[in-house]
Amino acid sequence: MSLFSAIRNRWRHLAPRTPSDVEEEFRSTLEAYQQDLIRQGFPEEEARRKACVDLGPAAAQNEKYRDAIGLRPFDELGGDIRYGLRALRRNPGFAAVAVLSLTLGIGATTAMFSLIYAVLLHPFPYAGADRIMNPAIVNEQHPDEPQWFPLNKAQFDVMRLAAPVDSLLGFNDSHMEITGGGLPEAVYGVYLTENAGSFFNVRPILGRNIEPSDAENGGHAVVVLNYRFWQRHFSGDPHVIGQTLEIDHATYTIVGVMPRSFAFNDTTGTGDVYLPSSLMRSIANVPYMAYIPWIKLRPHVTLVAANSALEPIVRQFAKEDPTRFPDHWHLALQPIIVPYRQQTGRTLTLLLAGVVLLLIIGCANCSILLLARGRTRQHELAIRSAIGASRWRIVRQLLVEAVVISCTGAILGVAASYWLARLPLLLSPDSFPAESVIRINAPILAFSVTLALLCGVLFGLVPALRLSRKDSARMLPGRQLGVVAVPGKHRWSALIAAQVALTLLLMATAGTAIRSFLRLTQMPLGYDPNNVMSLGIMLHVHDPGDWGRRIQSHDVRAAYIEQIRASIASVAGVSTVAVGTNATPPYTGAVEDSFNIDGNSNREQPQARVMLVSQQYFAALHIPVVQGRIWNVDENLRGDFIAVVNRAFAARYLSSSNALGRQLRIPDLTTWGRFTVTSTQSTSWRQIIGIVGDARNDGVDRSVVPAIYLPYTTVMLPYVQFLVRTQRDPLTYLHSIRAAIASVASDQEVSNGASPLSEAIERDTQYSRQRLFSVLFGVFSAIALALALVGIFSIVAYRVAQRTTEFGVRLALGAPRAHVLWVAARIALVSVAAGIVLGLACDSFLGAILAHWMQNAFAAGNLFIAAALFALSALLACLLPARHAITVPPAVALHYE
Amino acid sequence: MTKPVELPQGALEMLILKAVSLGPLHGYGILLRIQQISGERLEILQGSFYTAIYRLERQRWIEGEWGESENNRRARFYSLTAAGKRQLKAETAKWVDMAAVVAGILNTKADEV
Repeated sequence: MSLFSAIRNRWRHLAPRTPSDVEEEFRSTLEAYQQDLIRQGFPEEEARRKACVDLGPAAAQNEKYRDAIGLRPFDELGGDIRYGLRALRRNPGFAAVAVLSLTLGIGATTAMFSLIYAVLLHPFPYAGADRIMNPAIVNEQHPDEPQWFPLNKAQFDVMRLAAPVDSLLGFNDSHMEITGGGLPEAVYGVYLTENAGSFFNVRPILGRNIEPSDAENGGHAVVVLNYRFWQRHFSGDPHVIGQTLEIDHATYTIVGVMPRSFAFNDTTGTGDVYLPSSLMRSIANVPYMAYIPWIKLRPHVTLVAANSALEPIVRQFAKEDPTRFPDHWHLALQPIIVPYRQQTGRTLTLLLAGVVLLLIIGCANCSILLLARGRTRQHELAIRSAIGASRWRIVRQLLVEAVVISCTGAILGVAASYWLARLPLLLSPDSFPAESVIRINAPILAFSVTLALLCGVLFGLVPALRLSRKDSARMLPGRQLGVVAVPGKHRWSALIAAQVALTLLLMATAGTAIRSFLRLTQMPLGYDPNNVMSLGIMLHVHDPGDWGRRIQSHDVRAAYIEQIRASIASVAGVSTVAVGTNATPPYTGAVEDSFNIDGNSNREQPQARVMLVSQQYFAALHIPVVQGRIWNVDENLRGDFIAVVNRAFAARYLSSSNALGRQLRIPDLTTWGRFTVTSTQSTSWRQIIGIVGDARNDGVDRSVVPAIYLPYTTVMLPYVQFLVRTQRDPLTYLHSIRAAIASVASDQEVSNGASPLSEAIERDTQYSRQRLFSVLFGVFSAIALALALVGIFSIVAYRVAQRTTEFGVRLALGAPRAHVLWVAARIALVSVAAGIVLGLACDSFLGAILAHWMQNAFAAGNLFIAAALFALSALLACLLPARHAITVPPAVALHYE
Repeated sequence: MTKPVELPQGALEMLILKAVSLGPLHGYGILLRIQQISGERLEILQGSFYTAIYRLERQRWIEGEWGESENNRRARFYSLTAAGKRQLKAETAKWVDMAAVVAGILNTKADEV
């Protein structure tokens, strides 16, 4: 109450008095004075007149009041703004074109900025995210492929106490299954050390995060849900806290739900559920507890200092377990943003350059329109200047009008950017951190407001300075009568030329992007992705009953997998079914393994991807056998003693003459995680019996890495991936395939991720990046082209309208119509031609830089196609309005104005 | 009749403060009182009079309040605020000082230079 009255008091003192208040006071004075005069003997009428003359008009008193208290500049500004809005309303065509030019530019720029803000500046919701590091080992022989390393419990405790470490998070992921409901459902679980709550310091939207107390008594059976999982599985139920969830036949109490922006983690994949890591030991009973570490450094610790402080500690770990570390390595802490910044930073910079070009083109367009319109306004401005407006006053008025246009554009642009910013996320979802949420916030609004003001001043300044020149006063008496040959110098000629050059630059960039994307789509993959889908199932390894025990046996598991494979193959319309657990192209999930090869004395351990497949794999994907043969059914069941390699492997590790028959062994094949079943001789020597063609296995644009194919029975993980080749669109068979699987085991779930291989290509980072470039730059250049053409069109239309009389005279005097048309079109054609030449010069200079940034050759051919296209459309944009010059009958033209 | 005096810059504001310091007055009352005190020697420019009042009010040296005038009409009465009192005191001292200095210079005889 007292606060309110205090505020009201304060406001009464600060706020200006109302006009009626001021006027009433003045009238009372006026009346008192008048009474006095009457008392002095003036007749009443005379007294009123004299009072008014002496004191001044009452109506103007408020203006005097506002002037006295210093509000006049604001009143003038308000007047200018109102005038600007009125001018826009009077000229709707002009206003629409000008506002639209800026809406597109400002909208696109704001969208790009909000994307950059979300992705590069603030992608993570974690507290102190810029201090969180991924510790990576850089193998000095392959420095561009950093490796992560897990820590055991003792190592974790050593690392946690290291000097530069503020806090240390350990996590580990696990494929799990929700049980107890109708159909089992696959979930991705992430175990977190119990300091997770304070490490992230992200407020859960419901309940709490994992806390240190969850570690008590070997770990409490609690679970925190990921937002998307909560939405999917619980339909966003707000009363979910306290309910239980059965995972792998154990019951967990739900204690929290994380907000949408929390999508931990970026190293191994976003978890559906988060569990206390103490449970890893008690429930899963693993002998070797592994933590993947995330280090949060103390504030103000530099990367260099942290690296040198932690390196001796990691060296000690390497001494304890040398097989996990390469021979020559050094430690490199990597801020968690780095992988995205590397991939996406360059993309976004290039796109930002594109939208800034677009914005400049939009601004140039507005400048041209203002200049063109300015000629018709010279009369008005001359009058203003004649009755005493200073040059500064006129410049200010024109600038305010420009800012009114740009602010209108900005309002629409910000609204548009809300959708525009989603476009890149839609087109290339995997290039951006899952956590980044695009929203319009204060920094982004500030950015666009600044941008709008800047644009207004930028495009308004040239016209304002030009139109406010004192010599325009001489325009006053004559108006534009007669045949006035126009002064030769036009600012807008230069602007049009610049605009044309920039548009060409954008068009050529778009051409390059589209061409390289097309090249990518036509690149040979080495396999045939059409009509093939991949389909995953989780084996019930956690089943506490009889099946859970039996599935741990090698033969039972191999037989079960083969039974399901055969059942899928029996579905009508399915031609081939293969097992390819970690071999789904184009980016197979297989990790690099080291192996030994006979007769190789090289100290360096050779590495290759080990892919676990069935013998049908090569037929299903149409991968040709180059030499030798594929294993048969019996060999597939046994799994041992044989291997098939790809061409890249043969080229790198085998001398061409006697490739077949060489022996290799992979010593690491036994140490693959828990619930894994290996064949008896999995690590013993294998004979290479065949060489197959290279199929992409490291992304669509990267060269094929050496690969070893082994029968999948060598190492069986708790999940299986099938590759199904069908006669038509594979997804249409999904229903019958599910039925076929259920006929083998009714409780066997099928993972959500059934997807055609052609979709896997579209999700490829490079593929989606290139597609993003082609779509966005295509749109940018189309907009730029449209803007430039509108600019050219309007300048010619304006000038032709102004020179109607001149053209009338020319026609009346017998000038050929073609000549008059040419004179009219010439208004802009010269500057367009100059712009094209300038653009060509610019592009060939920038080509090299662009080629580097887009990682693609910049084809000169695109440039000439773009230039020709542009020239053609510009010619049209000139001729259409120029036709007006010859269609007006001379008699009408002469009486024009 | 004595000759009217023209006011130097800033003097009008000081005179208004002085007039109001003797008791709350409405605009016309201030005008009358200044003329009365000065013995009708000051011709206040009508235009600048209210400008000065507005400015003083903005600076919160005087404070306006609506009330009833002698002839039962609504009028806005101005009174001096605490800040206004201080200002008047400071300004008066300044004017007296300046007047003394100027008078001293002007009264100097030739042989004293």
